[in-house]
Amino acid sequence: MANTLQSAAGDSRSTKSDTDSEFLTQAGAGAVLRGALLKLLEVRSEDPIGFLADHFENLAQSLENGDSGSAVEGDKKQHQQTLQSSEEQNQHAGALWHLTQAHYSQRSAFNNNVAVAFSLLSRGGRKRKPGLKGRAYTELLRRVCRDGAVAEPVSAPLIRKLRCQDHEAVPFDLFRHAVLTCFVFADFVRKSRSLFETVSPSDGSLCRAVLGSLRDALETTGCSDPARYLEASAKLTPGRLAQAMDRAQTLASGTPSTLMGQEEFIEEASALFVSRVKRVS
Amino acid sequence: MNSKRFTLPVDEYLALEHVPFYIEDALSQLLEHKEEYTQFGIVRFFADYFNSVRNGNHILFREFSFVKATPHNRSSFLRAFWRCFRQIGKNGDLLTVMEYRSLLQLLCPDFPVELVQKAARIVLMDDAMDCLMSFPDFLYAFQIQFYYEEFFENIAVIYQDLLSGKSPNTVIVPTSFSAEQVTRPATSNTAAQEGVDSPLFCGCIEALCERYKYSHPPLSSIKEILCQVQRVSFYGFLMAIAKHEGINCDIGSLPSKADLLIDPEMDRELEKLIAQISVSPTSNSSSSTVGHKEPVRKASPRKSLHYRRRIDIESDGSNEETDSSEN
Repeated sequence: MANTLQSAAGDSRSTKSDTDSEFLTQAGAGAVLRGALLKLLEVRSEDPIGFLADHFENLAQSLENGDSGSAVEGDKKQHQQTLQSSEEQNQHAGALWHLTQAHYSQRSAFNNNVAVAFSLLSRGGRKRKPGLKGRAYTELLRRVCRDGAVAEPVSAPLIRKLRCQDHEAVPFDLFRHAVLTCFVFADFVRKSRSLFETVSPSDGSLCRAVLGSLRDALETTGCSDPARYLEASAKLTPGRLAQAMDRAQTLASGTPSTLMGQEEFIEEASALFVSRVKRVS
Repeated sequence: MNSKRFTLPVDEYLALEHVPFYIEDALSQLLEHKEEYTQFGIVRFFADYFNSVRNGNHILFREFSFVKATPHNRSSFLRAFWRCFRQIGKNGDLLTVMEYRSLLQLLCPDFPVELVQKAARIVLMDDAMDCLMSFPDFLYAFQIQFYYEEFFENIAVIYQDLLSGKSPNTVIVPTSFSAEQVTRPATSNTAAQEGVDSPLFCGCIEALCERYKYSHPPLSSIKEILCQVQRVSFYGFLMAIAKHEGINCDIGSLPSKADLLIDPEMDRELEKLIAQISVSPTSNSSSSTVGHKEPVRKASPRKSLHYRRRIDIESDGSNEETDSSEN
């Protein structure tokens, strides 16, 4: 990476080389690019160009907002308020963008992004005290779920468990835990949907059998003993699942089949998930 | 891009989408037009630059060496060409090679004539090179010729080798028995017209693709084309690639033939772009002018529409605050 900058500077060492590299150093091009590339390499985005475009755009906007902020001094209150709400919107959008940059399985990158998002949201405004308020926190969680293609009725029980009072200050640990839970939930719902699509062409008893196995496995992980996780995943092997589905089918062979709708399936699956989430006190 | 990107070394990851190339180009552009860009700040410059790369506008009015440098640049250029000159297709005009080249030069002042001629050869099946061509015919042939230029050069060599009866040393032949069967010499001119044996040709192409570093059409599509005939000629093969919908989708610049001329939303963009071209000093006044030599002051290629609008807004003296919140 340093080679890139050096070679780019080196290419311009033809006629006005000294002024060129002087100009670049003075403008701070090296530092800006280095920061951007470090971020890109940490996140390893699928679309590096898009990532760089967004990164510089966010950076430019925050610089431009910062500049325009200083000119507001002495303006009317109304103007301040519109600026504040647009600032809040920018903060929200910025925080959300940071959170989506790395998948939660990329532990260190994800944790870094959560920290950045938290500090962005906690930044004190003109009239706001620093710190993340419950209202903004709950709103962000809703956005994460919505952006992860989870419908409102499905995410509502989860949000209810995770929410804070509007005026409460939200500590970082709670923020991280809640955001992670929402992302995992969004993935879970997505997987349930594709599971439903695989199983559903047959009748509802198979769907219920699958959900039953899932519930069984999840309930096994009651304590934090690692062996229990192995036990739980053993319950979900293809062989065991096939046995469960076969049992259900033979049991139901006499009775007329009842179809299960997608919403119902997703609702039951997400209920299994939400029941494992600890309520925030 | 698959999840392998997480384990690649830094250089390889960055090279996947040619990030160092674009950074170098951004810095050169910055140095070339520093008076213009330092006014708005260096971060805004990078934001605009990478946004335009993402949107595919970055290749407009740039030199040919830049336009052909990466697959993304090539496909962006193809898309821009289609968007700009779609109207010609709509009117049903037929144009010559040199006329198409002039159009290309409006977007890229030093676009070489050889490339346009190669594209025309595909449409006209290497015959009657002063014939007129329709816009869709030319566009699809030009697309594959430009996007897969290096690949076709290699294929041409393989084809010639097969025609002259040389058995290419990299061909993968399952058994030595069939290798002996294959090396019967090509006899006469009729052989050249009949082309080469398709399965053999396919095998050679497959071997090439395995070790190939440039872009090439997906092997499955190539196999699909070649398994339909026993023998294939070079331009017959190329023409089939030009018409192949799967390959067109794989490149991703142009819509399918049915949608090529349909897009009412583009008309607005087109009008703006035409207005910009007629204002820009690099535009040609008549399409029949070829290779004009007068020195042109190159308008800054970074003045995208967005940029110009921004400058207009700033100069209107509007509030900086409202401007930033609109952005």
